[in-house]
Amino acid sequence: MSDVSDPAVTRRDALAAGGATTVLGFGFWTEAFAADGAGAGGTVLITGASRGIGFEFAKQYAQAGWTVIATARNPATAEPLKALAKAHKNIRIEALDVTDVKAVDALAEKLKGTAIDVLINNAGISGGAQNQKVGTIKYEVFDDVMRTNVMGPIKIAEAFTPHVAASTQKKIVSISSTEGSLTGISGRPDVNSIFYRASKSALNMAMINMAKALKDKGIIVVMLSPGLVQTDFVGDLRLPIMISPEQSVAMTMPIIARVTMADTGKYFRHTGELAAW
Amino acid sequence: MADDVKRREVVMAASIIPVMLGMGVGIEGAAAQGAPATTVLVTGASRGIGIEFVKQYAARGYNVIATARDPAKATELNALAAQHKNIRVERMDVLDHAGIDALAAKLKGTPIDILVNNAGIGGGGVNQNFGKINYAVFDEVMKTNVEGPLKVSEAFVEHVAASTQKKIMMVSSSQGSIASVRSASLYFYRTSKSALNMVSVNLAKALKERGIIVGMVAPGATDTDFMIEVRGRMPLGKPAERTAGMIAQIDAFTMDKTGQFFEWTGEQIPW
Repeated sequence: MSDVSDPAVTRRDALAAGGATTVLGFGFWTEAFAADGAGAGGTVLITGASRGIGFEFAKQYAQAGWTVIATARNPATAEPLKALAKAHKNIRIEALDVTDVKAVDALAEKLKGTAIDVLINNAGISGGAQNQKVGTIKYEVFDDVMRTNVMGPIKIAEAFTPHVAASTQKKIVSISSTEGSLTGISGRPDVNSIFYRASKSALNMAMINMAKALKDKGIIVVMLSPGLVQTDFVGDLRLPIMISPEQSVAMTMPIIARVTMADTGKYFRHTGELAAW
Repeated sequence: MADDVKRREVVMAASIIPVMLGMGVGIEGAAAQGAPATTVLVTGASRGIGIEFVKQYAARGYNVIATARDPAKATELNALAAQHKNIRVERMDVLDHAGIDALAAKLKGTPIDILVNNAGIGGGGVNQNFGKINYAVFDEVMKTNVEGPLKVSEAFVEHVAASTQKKIMMVSSSQGSIASVRSASLYFYRTSKSALNMVSVNLAKALKERGIIVGMVAPGATDTDFMIEVRGRMPLGKPAERTAGMIAQIDAFTMDKTGQFFEWTGEQIPW
């Protein structure tokens, strides 16, 4: 698994709206869901919960009173997550490497009988900018990116379908990125994250299929772009349009709460607008 | 797994051969006039759409470098090469990056006008049904359909840059069109083609300054071994017709279309 350290690439969402729009969007959704941004309580499973957006989802869902199953590749070193779980008895930590198909099955088996209202496929890697420059591409990193960002979410959705189907809310959410938007990227000059972008286009395709496959079971599948969020994922990159993980999650949780079967297969920006394929 | 995973390169309908034979005349003509020879490299050229590209480009008088994983077993391609002196068969497995680099080194100094990244696999429909997805084929599909074309393009970029036409063409698929999905199937194949499209869009940007055009073309559902699982259950086009359509789109590709995705009919495919 590659570390994500290069600031130049690791943008989750470089097409994030400008600051003003972001604030407006936030305000709109906050108002609409003022009572409870998290929606009705339930159980949420979040992958990649040790850091960044994943950690923030665990925190905000726990604060909203949800039962949180927070997975991390290596819980032993996930100090903030452990501290969070100590402070919130409704957080349960489980070890999970999303690229390990057998481990995903084992966790699904261990959680058999547990209804999961919201499954958040959050774990993802960027691959690092230095590894994806045309001319000197590191293909072993490409493999890792595709396995983590595409195969992992497909496998997790497949393995946890019974848990989600047994729940009340029945939602599978995959954290994508507008970096995976072919329409958006076509109009931009930069080429600095060829694997990451390809992985997110592929993830979107996988989730559209998943939405079709699971409709009969009443399961809603949506994709969310979290905005350009200031996390370890973007390294030292700091831009005016960046938002904090707190802001991003506070904006996306109400979207997750409001989506219905009419929205299945949709790809939302953190502002609530639809993103283009 | 090799039996389950259908390679795109497939045996072409025998009925097309007589049509193509009549077109082999132009070769000597172009060479005799001393016009700069147009060179095409086609991956996955032993069967199906790949061998059809070879036939049609050879019939035009282009120099064709036809690659196959195992040329010794590519009987039909070898027979074609024996008839057309402008076809050269080379070994290339798009999964073998060192092998790709070695072929690029061997062909150093040979300008390649059109690089046709055709080799691809479907991964087997039975391996991609929800609830029974076989993750063992994921890597092979991604490596063949996404990394392969990118690696081949990377390795041959100097050859293309040194040519007249300067085109890198990806045989993609409308199955990779996210906007067009109507029902679930072929998770890996579809995701691989969406990923290939995104790779191609980025490659188009990266190579624009060098005057290299990068495009995606799609054959539609074509009657090759690639479609063996659905043959008889859906209408399938003739390989010769579909390939001729893709060649027409490749001919029409100009720098203002770089990074775009066309069906064999010329219709632009939505992302």
